[in-house]
Amino acid sequence: MSPALIIQGLTKRYGSLTAVDRFSLELRQGTVFGLLGPNGAGKTTLIKMLTTLMRPTSGDAFIQGESIVTAGKRVRALIGVVPQENNLDRYLTAQENLVLHARLHGMAPRDYLPRIDRFLELTGLSSRRNDFPDTFSGGMQRRLVVVRALIHLPRLLFLDEPTTGLDPQSRRALWEQLRTLRSEMTIFLTTHYMDEADSLCDRIVIMDHGASLVDGSAQELKERYAHAHIYELELRRDGDRYEELFQLLPQVTSLERERDSFRIVLRDEESLKPLMDSIQSGDIRRICLVEPSLEEVFLDLTGKMVRE
Amino acid sequence: MILRGALSIFGRDLIVLRRSLFSELLSVVASPLTLYLAFGVGLKGYISQVEGVPYGVFIAPGLISMTAVLAAFEESAWSMWFHRRVQKTIEEYRVSPITVYDIVIGKLISGFAQGAIKGVAVALVIFVLTPFSFPLRNLGLYLLFISLGAMIFSCLGTICGTVIDKPENIGRIQAVVIMPLIFMSGIFFPLSSYPPSVLPIISLLPTTALFEGARSALLTGSCGPLHLAILLVTAVIFFILAVVVFDRKIEE
Repeated sequence: MSPALIIQGLTKRYGSLTAVDRFSLELRQGTVFGLLGPNGAGKTTLIKMLTTLMRPTSGDAFIQGESIVTAGKRVRALIGVVPQENNLDRYLTAQENLVLHARLHGMAPRDYLPRIDRFLELTGLSSRRNDFPDTFSGGMQRRLVVVRALIHLPRLLFLDEPTTGLDPQSRRALWEQLRTLRSEMTIFLTTHYMDEADSLCDRIVIMDHGASLVDGSAQELKERYAHAHIYELELRRDGDRYEELFQLLPQVTSLERERDSFRIVLRDEESLKPLMDSIQSGDIRRICLVEPSLEEVFLDLTGKMVRE
Repeated sequence: MILRGALSIFGRDLIVLRRSLFSELLSVVASPLTLYLAFGVGLKGYISQVEGVPYGVFIAPGLISMTAVLAAFEESAWSMWFHRRVQKTIEEYRVSPITVYDIVIGKLISGFAQGAIKGVAVALVIFVLTPFSFPLRNLGLYLLFISLGAMIFSCLGTICGTVIDKPENIGRIQAVVIMPLIFMSGIFFPLSSYPPSVLPIISLLPTTALFEGARSALLTGSCGPLHLAILLVTAVIFFILAVVVFDRKIEE
């Protein structure tokens, strides 16, 4: 099966600033792909080039074999786009927004009307089809934007930070909506939420300064890049004494305490034995290794400095 | 289908216009009707005939034309600006399998349709409330002028809505460029009032070609070929400009 997306050295420069720098990638059909990166990393620029909203300075990408540079119109027939900001037409009702989208894609009413009914039903928007988007909650508007992107059954769906600004319930509802699609199309999403990427994506790339830093599944990235050895230790007694003791151990690089519970970061795997030797076995109520999170991998790779 | 996208966008604009048609027409009729009553009726006692026709008859075709082209300009400019800057629906159009031509032509047709509808509304009100009349056989030629004028102003509106980011600047363009060009083109006075040194420049203005040509077409059924040629060339240039400007600006 041919790849859903091939990106070959895609580059975008604005004068001396390189927003995307020779970015390359190949995605198999049916992948849920997550692109992570801090603000200004180049994620949105990359999506804008892939969705033909922006011409690359150099390089090319192929969606189902169609070039974004030379076959923009054919590419646009194959993709669905959920932009960062809701761009629903507030002067059209929900149904009219969807009909306009279908007509722009050259669909006949006999094709799009049943599909609109089905999608509105699936997303719980059926009863609001004749209302204007301005009267919808943020979560409902977002669901409508996703439905709109799906009306023509795209082969590759782009979602640029689809859940930003949504409450946890709306985020979960949108995740569910996306999970139902994974068998039908390839999904390319950018997000700032690590739990979202962890939960939804088969494959993740973390990018910064326009370039790809790492590529793999959430589990692979955590195993490969989370170097910290973090333990949670709960003691039965003598919390103060043990705190002083742990602070003196050279193997402990970081220590947090709440009553008799400690979060201890050790220098390496071999540091566990000296730690255990320092505690009387009867004093330990519980000790466990903390799984590294995707967020730690992300921060490790892109730094902790706040970006503009 | 050719222009599928343009017609879809035009269809969208028609739905929106239909919802607010009454209030739109009410507001659009008010201004030219006031001008007609003020100048055509108010000054009737002071200005009896201009170029062989009563003053009210002299200004009526220009007022109808002005309503049509201003409506075309405003619809195109504000609609493009709103879709680009506020709703960002232009982005939704641009990720659909249509071309830049579809978007620009769709907006031009919308501007043109708004101009036609509002021009007809003003014409009807002037016909009903005043003694203004014209030979019906002249209507075809007059509409040709109005169509070209609406197209030019629609293209101009599209360009303004594309390049101008601050909404107040669209109003400024209208006040500083559009209105003076319209008023300089002999809607309210004959061009023979201009000094001979200025007249050749005024005669070459597309707005002069539009208002003079439209008046002549409606009242006499004839027009100077130069007027028509100026309008045709201007319409083609402005259309190309609108497409090029939209294509370049929208990617920034």
